[in-house]
Amino acid sequence: MKTTVLQKNIFWIILFAALLLLSAAALLALKLFPPRGTVAKLYQSGSLIRSIDLSHVEEPYEFTVTSPLGENTVRVEPGRIRVVSADCPDGVCVNMGWLSFAPIVCLPHEFMILTDRSPGTAADAGMPDGTAG
Amino acid sequence: MKKLPSGAKRIVLDALFAAVALSLFVIELMIPLSVGIPGVKLGLANIVTVVAVFLLSPVDAAGILYTRILLGGVFSGQAMALLYSLAGGTLCFIATLVLKRFVTEKQIWAVSVIGSLAHNLGQTLVAAAVLRTGAVFLYLPVLFIAGILAGLFTGVSAQILVSRLGGVFRARYENIYGRGNGR
Repeated sequence: MKTTVLQKNIFWIILFAALLLLSAAALLALKLFPPRGTVAKLYQSGSLIRSIDLSHVEEPYEFTVTSPLGENTVRVEPGRIRVVSADCPDGVCVNMGWLSFAPIVCLPHEFMILTDRSPGTAADAGMPDGTAG
Repeated sequence: MKKLPSGAKRIVLDALFAAVALSLFVIELMIPLSVGIPGVKLGLANIVTVVAVFLLSPVDAAGILYTRILLGGVFSGQAMALLYSLAGGTLCFIATLVLKRFVTEKQIWAVSVIGSLAHNLGQTLVAAAVLRTGAVFLYLPVLFIAGILAGLFTGVSAQILVSRLGGVFRARYENIYGRGNGR
């Protein structure tokens, strides 16, 4: 192998710089053109449990999703939705704020909020959904 | 050719590594990095994993890694996180082992970055399986940015450690443990 240590390091530096730029670009693209519709879909352990059309929401309201794994309290306002509190150990779902281009996820509780234009889920592929409007 | 200690001395050595990794893991849990994305972390314990891969045998490194993951899961009290740690840690470990064949000890920093990215990928794959959706992959750009930066930090640390410890290993173990075990 005739490449020097410096050359090898430069290879890695360029590779990581490219990856960083790519990721930043992807992030920017997602922020500018979010794949987001107006319907929020709530999933518990892989099944759709609730579907909310955010554009038809007049008054803010909250409700709690309970499962054997724990609780997540969701707040719905005109046009937006988020998790306001949860009894999971990390609280990441709360810190995620309002739903935007990426799903709100509570991993310990297998609870997730997606938009209707997110990349597909198994639940959508023909499984019976318990839509409760 | 390095002679590694065997028998009781090997267990003690590996246990020491595991203890350091575990301590780093627990300490890191106390650092509130509340970015709104699951999986963003420094990965300090991975410093030990990388050092172990480069200074010890793959079997030793694997033992250290999985001991740390299992005990770490017990100590942190989060059973669910265990699955993600296992997936991420295993993918990272494999990537590190594979890359070891292609790099010199001056590129350990790069190996650590790749390992960090592999870790994030593994966790995302498990999340996709658990939640049964591809939407979690939307987080990869953010995770990769954080992963590259964190991997850089841990990678430089690991590289420095290997260069400092490597001499100790080669000098001490060949003289002391190599002879003491008779082969």
